[in-house]
Amino acid sequence: MFEISREENDHVLLSGRLDASQVAKLKSVLDTVTQSCVVDFKTLEYISSAGLGVLLATQKRLRDSGYGLKLVNLNKHIRNIFAVAGFDFIFDIE
Amino acid sequence: MEREFNRNLAALNEVFLFVDEFIAAAGLKEDAAFSVRLAVEELFTNLVRHNCGGRDHITIELERDAGQLVIRLKDFDVEPFDITKASPVDVRQSLEERRIGGLGIHLVRSIVDKLTYEYENRTLCVTAKKKLEGKDV
Repeated sequence: MFEISREENDHVLLSGRLDASQVAKLKSVLDTVTQSCVVDFKTLEYISSAGLGVLLATQKRLRDSGYGLKLVNLNKHIRNIFAVAGFDFIFDIE
Repeated sequence: MEREFNRNLAALNEVFLFVDEFIAAAGLKEDAAFSVRLAVEELFTNLVRHNCGGRDHITIELERDAGQLVIRLKDFDVEPFDITKASPVDVRQSLEERRIGGLGIHLVRSIVDKLTYEYENRTLCVTAKKKLEGKDV
């Protein structure tokens, strides 16, 4: 089960398991983000390459306009996956 | 443990239930559990997306054997498709240079010790093996 909620204009909260069957939910919200935004992973347990692809596409689109995503509260497994994917070089991760 | 799943992404929920059943039976701790979930999802979705025109199901086998985990997916009546030959991903590329996609097999390679492909009698078989360490069980 994956859930996504937009707490404020610049804050998105992810929860649960983000697998390939759920990734359209993430895309539908992030496609509406037009400036810098915090994506909070506090209650996200799992992510796979499908979710990483949507985050990468969003970061590319925002960076073209001088904005970007800030990713916060990643658990150690997700942080490790981001490092393996080289995402620690292209995202602001806190 | 072995089970058949429909060849579509909607089957992922059932796939994860099966994987969690295996994780509990094998007594895996969270580090190894995360790796098994990720490896199974990436291999399964890769076969679904490539869709080699096979039967409507894919078989997943999970086994804990002599200090290692064995993850095996079989796709029947299909054309050859060696997912272990996927192009390597240059994770040092800048944001502008990075392309979308292609990360799945890269992630699998990083979390397992061995990834092999076999093809015989129109059956495709992908096997991932991961050694278990003290922290995993």
